[in-house]
Amino acid sequence: MHSPETSVVRHAPLRPLLVKELWDVLSGRALWTMLLLLCPLIGYSFVQAVSLYSEASAAALHAPMLARGLSPLDGVLVPSLGAWYVGTTLLFPFVAIRVLSQEKESGALRLLVQLPYRSTTLVAAKLTAVLAAWGLASLPAVSVLAIWGLLGGHVSPPETLNLLVGHLCYGLLVGAIALFAATVSDSAATAAILTLAFTIGSWVLDFTLAGRPGVLAWMAGLSLTQTLRPFEQGLLEVRLVVGIAAAIGGFAALAAVWLPPGMTIRAKLARSLGCVLVTGVLLALATQVSLARDVTEDQRNSFPAADQRALVQLTEPLVVTVHLAPEDPRYADLQREVLAKLARVLPHVTIRLAGGRHTLASSGEDEAYGEVEYAYGTRIATSRSTSPGEVLPLLYGLAQVPVPTATAADEYPGYPCVADAQAALLWFCGGLPLCIGLTWWWTRRPPRLDRSILMQEVTHADR
Amino acid sequence: MSLPSLMEEHAPILLQVTTLTKRYVGQVALADIAFTVRAGEILGLIGPNGAGKTTLLEALAGVLPADSADLLWRGAPLPPARRRDVIFYLPDGLRPYHEQPVARVLAFFAGVYRRSPAHLAGVVAAVGLAPVLAKRVQALSKGYSRRLMLAVGLLTPQPLLLMDEPFDGFDLRQTREIMGVLRRCAAAGRTLILAIHQLLDAERVCDHFVLLADGRVRRAGTLDELRTRTQLPAGSLEEVFLALT
Repeated sequence: MHSPETSVVRHAPLRPLLVKELWDVLSGRALWTMLLLLCPLIGYSFVQAVSLYSEASAAALHAPMLARGLSPLDGVLVPSLGAWYVGTTLLFPFVAIRVLSQEKESGALRLLVQLPYRSTTLVAAKLTAVLAAWGLASLPAVSVLAIWGLLGGHVSPPETLNLLVGHLCYGLLVGAIALFAATVSDSAATAAILTLAFTIGSWVLDFTLAGRPGVLAWMAGLSLTQTLRPFEQGLLEVRLVVGIAAAIGGFAALAAVWLPPGMTIRAKLARSLGCVLVTGVLLALATQVSLARDVTEDQRNSFPAADQRALVQLTEPLVVTVHLAPEDPRYADLQREVLAKLARVLPHVTIRLAGGRHTLASSGEDEAYGEVEYAYGTRIATSRSTSPGEVLPLLYGLAQVPVPTATAADEYPGYPCVADAQAALLWFCGGLPLCIGLTWWWTRRPPRLDRSILMQEVTHADR
Repeated sequence: MSLPSLMEEHAPILLQVTTLTKRYVGQVALADIAFTVRAGEILGLIGPNGAGKTTLLEALAGVLPADSADLLWRGAPLPPARRRDVIFYLPDGLRPYHEQPVARVLAFFAGVYRRSPAHLAGVVAAVGLAPVLAKRVQALSKGYSRRLMLAVGLLTPQPLLLMDEPFDGFDLRQTREIMGVLRRCAAAGRTLILAIHQLLDAERVCDHFVLLADGRVRRAGTLDELRTRTQLPAGSLEEVFLALT
């Protein structure tokens, strides 16, 4: 035996840790089971989506007006990847929890925390493994894109990439929550309950609080499902990306605080408070970032291109005062069709809800209810319309800017596609699961042994 | 006094535990533990089940928070955050990364501490792990999983190695073989603290003893010193222990 070469150890290479984490996540059944379940789920959703899209396309092939309404993002990609979202919500937590809980339950965590890595490094390595697992879980989704392309369907790279980024953000957020839950729980089962409380609790928040005013609306905004929605609508909002990154960082930091078993609960609570405060500040700062990009090919989140160009000339502050209750459907229309688009294109827009306590029940008592007041510089105009077709000319009038004329080049042509995707089920229910099964088998095969290790054994025995 | 004993007397003090206390709700697990460890010796923590041996090792290694723990490393304070720089602890009954093959687990620890393939091969040969390198950890017998943990300990470079029940699961021949490995390890300059409840094994391998009972140190010293204290000049460790506790 060689000399132990005892020494003080403070640093270690990252590669062995990353390799170990990747093998750990690949060795578990959770990841492969999730993948095998995702294949038919995503495949069936895809086939159904293509079938419905084809029906709509058949009617639109000879009617350009109908074709303009056919976007593959809405018709095929979002519904197909909806199954992936369900899988990430319900199954991915088990994959992410396993990255840590197995070490906790087997006691190997007591070895891991003695290695010369910081807790943050250990958690970062585990988050990398979660990211790798998410990458593998994206295989059925990538198959959807490939098969849709083979069927002759149109794929717009910016909006598709944006959708994938949304799923990545959501997956990593769920993974970070799961890691945190695993650090504070004694068992994987408890960690799963905690994580599902977050993910399924988000659905409950969505169902019960959506469209409610005030604090309830703010609470509904905390729902995890809200993180994916703008990406599905083709919006890349910097504040959302920064906010999700802050939340992922916050949960990872909390996991790093709670990972070392040698720290007292009091010290952990004190550090956790610091993490929560920093994350809260970052989230608050993120909400102040208004930068957003409409990456859809049909520019559905923006006004027509001619209007966008004209609105850029409105450099003075615009104050919009809305006399509507937040739960009024007209307010939702106005918000989606006019106010949100204005906020993205104009540099200085302030939107106020008049009174702030309007409710649908009390709307009859207020004569001004339903009015929307637009104040640009010293000029003011009022309208009850929620349509950009009426609101924008009003604004051009206030700003004394000529009304632009739309050009044919601005119009989205639409991408009708009549295709039969039934054969794709063979891939999703046969070929892909077979490939996954073979890869699973490959990861479980015995490793090739270094001959030098065995030779040394022979030499040792001879002595 | 034997030559090794004389040499050990003059070895510098590596670790000095002045006060170490650990309380659980309504129970004192360790009360004012104090002892010293000299460089290159094998110190045995001796005590019955429930004496606090494992708790003491975990508190020393910093993987369990203690209510108070003043440790001096070569005379300088050793805070919990720096313990892992100089101490490595091998828990009892651990099967780490049980879905991985033995070779991969060893390669991980060798990689972390930048051990050469030759060093890894030497450790594998020393503990006799070659026949099971391709096996998954979960498929190992109790003896081989103990050897794996020992191999992990030998791959780590910290000057002080703490081991909880290192001979549990070995038969007599294997125990003697592993004792030889530990002896060579100590001879190469490493210091070992072994928590052992089998007093016969402890007597064979340890240079110094700390006798624990009910979370308190009852006595510490070499076997000769303990014999003198108990006036049992030919007494075995078992007889000495019974006399002192």
